[in-house]
Amino acid sequence: MGCMNSKSVRKFPAREDSLDLAAETAFTVNEVEALFVLFRSISNSIVNDGLLSKEEFQLAIFKNKKKDNIFANRIFDLFDVKKLGVVDFEDFVRSLNVFHPNASLKDKIAFSFRLYDLHNTGFIERPEVKEMLIALLFESDMKLADDVIETILDKTFVEADLKQDGKIDTEEWETFVKRNPSVLKIMTLPYLRDITISFPSFIFNSTNVERVDETSTRL
Amino acid sequence: MKKVRRKIGKYEVGRTIGEGTFAKVKFARNSETGDSVAIKIMAKTTILQHRMVEQIKREISIMKIVRNPNIVRLHEVLASQTRIYIILEFVMGGELYDKIVQQGKLSENESRRYFQQLIDTVDHCHRKGVYHRDLKPENLLLDAYGNLKVSDFGLSALTKQGVDLLHTTCGTPNYVAPEVLSNRGYDGAAADVWSCGVILYVLMAGYLPFEEADLPTLYRRINAAEFVCPFWFSADTKSFIQKILDPNPKTRVKIEEIRKEPWFKKNYFPVKLGEDEQVNLDDVRAVFDDIEDQYVAERSEITEGGPLIMNAFEMIALSQGLNLSPLFDRLQDNVKRQTRFVSRKPAKVIISSIEAVAESMGLKVHSRNYKVRLEGVSANRVGPFAVVLEVFEVAPSLFMVDVRRATGDTFDYHKFYMNFCAKLGNIIWRPAGTMPNSNLLKQMTL
Repeated sequence: MGCMNSKSVRKFPAREDSLDLAAETAFTVNEVEALFVLFRSISNSIVNDGLLSKEEFQLAIFKNKKKDNIFANRIFDLFDVKKLGVVDFEDFVRSLNVFHPNASLKDKIAFSFRLYDLHNTGFIERPEVKEMLIALLFESDMKLADDVIETILDKTFVEADLKQDGKIDTEEWETFVKRNPSVLKIMTLPYLRDITISFPSFIFNSTNVERVDETSTRL
Repeated sequence: MKKVRRKIGKYEVGRTIGEGTFAKVKFARNSETGDSVAIKIMAKTTILQHRMVEQIKREISIMKIVRNPNIVRLHEVLASQTRIYIILEFVMGGELYDKIVQQGKLSENESRRYFQQLIDTVDHCHRKGVYHRDLKPENLLLDAYGNLKVSDFGLSALTKQGVDLLHTTCGTPNYVAPEVLSNRGYDGAAADVWSCGVILYVLMAGYLPFEEADLPTLYRRINAAEFVCPFWFSADTKSFIQKILDPNPKTRVKIEEIRKEPWFKKNYFPVKLGEDEQVNLDDVRAVFDDIEDQYVAERSEITEGGPLIMNAFEMIALSQGLNLSPLFDRLQDNVKRQTRFVSRKPAKVIISSIEAVAESMGLKVHSRNYKVRLEGVSANRVGPFAVVLEVFEVAPSLFMVDVRRATGDTFDYHKFYMNFCAKLGNIIWRPAGTMPNSNLLKQMTL
């Protein structure tokens, strides 16, 4: 716990931490450092503790900390790997990795499955999908009659629920997603290609070591 | 003595291609893609000594904002403990200035083509609130196809110094507007226009309009716009250049006026640019285009094709709560940028209604299948304004119209959306008991 506290308030990630995160993700050391600049700005927006809370996450997405949203909450819960109610920098980077354009389709499919499995039953069930659909309609100020919503769900489950047992398992989800790639468009953030340009101030704190020392070239 | 192949990130570093006070520029190749790049290398100690930290951060941000095919692209920024590396697009064709030095003056047509590209590029940046302030032929590069690439937009601190191909004293302001010389406050847009005029003169004459051995005389001539056009300039060219090299910034011709000049318009083909969300739109288009092909192929024997059918998950994916982009785009405000409504009218009726209302609002309409793009000028005339609408079938005889701002001011977008939906009123389906205005007002306050 003491270790956690001292770690949380550090100014910049240690070289070893950046190297470790770069090794296990699609990000380079410099990109991890740039993400730290982002993380520091959003995680200290309400409480300056070096950890990202749900309110800070909502504020970063909606620019409004009071706006509650079932989907943003769900993403936050998936980022909160340690189930502490806050996200540390390491989990932030590892979780964002799935949104990288170079992340594998397999990982994107798996993450999106867990995202839509609202109640963690191991399946995407019809009541969960209905709940999410109603939330989207509410968010968009669109109201549809219940029978219309049921019609939309019927059509979707005919296509996705191949076993017709009222729920979608991981295999069915993979098949469905590959047939409907636009379902996964939220799983890729082109911004992650430009992270060093978006948050350039990392360059002045970088602890990256150059691969080959220049002096040896001049010998 | 062993030669070590040096690598920076994924770039294999080659020869030095430029050197200045603050930066060295090296050629390099992206080992993943084979693309050529130019790497500007700066020592952190130098940056700190000259207090350039904020300036460099600002300039990197500017390079991101002004992305454009005619501007040298900033690919990424790298750093080590001791150095920073700015990875730029490598431009194959060299400097436009070298072309003049080697060939002498260019023909009127060739000069005009470069000038047109220059004006379009400068205008693109001005619309983003960015002014170059150091336009000169050395900052104008040519790609492999002979197209213009403006460099150092936002990176003037890194401009090569001490290397002056004009053989004039260091810092000679041959391209600088008179009001800039006076050190009065000045309009960046007007100053850039002046520099463009000097560049055009140089292209067509092969020499500078203002060139004196001593600075006081040079300053006097620039302030008075005292220059002579060579005999080979046509009357039209002479007249055009005089409008640009007007020493009074208030009466100097502006870019939108330049665009209307007959001299400028000859063989002019403006490029469609200005997308704020170009990347995202490309992704969206690519995905939808792919699906569209499938659907059309599948249904070609059944119908002539209708709108895309959206399933529950595609609808859910529209939620703002699932869009993490605002984490990375700190410039976004909290106004909703995506809006949508439901209609029970036939899809073709929806499209024709959208087209009719848009035309009545003076917008240009581009339709393709069940996508419509509307373009116009924003209310405050600051820049272009564009909206993309797409019709999706969500249930039999029930359609959702997704309305998305493509470019332009968010406030303009909201005024547009409210006005547009009010005019579309008869095709927008609302549950019984809902007042037409209440939804729009509610959306505005969200």
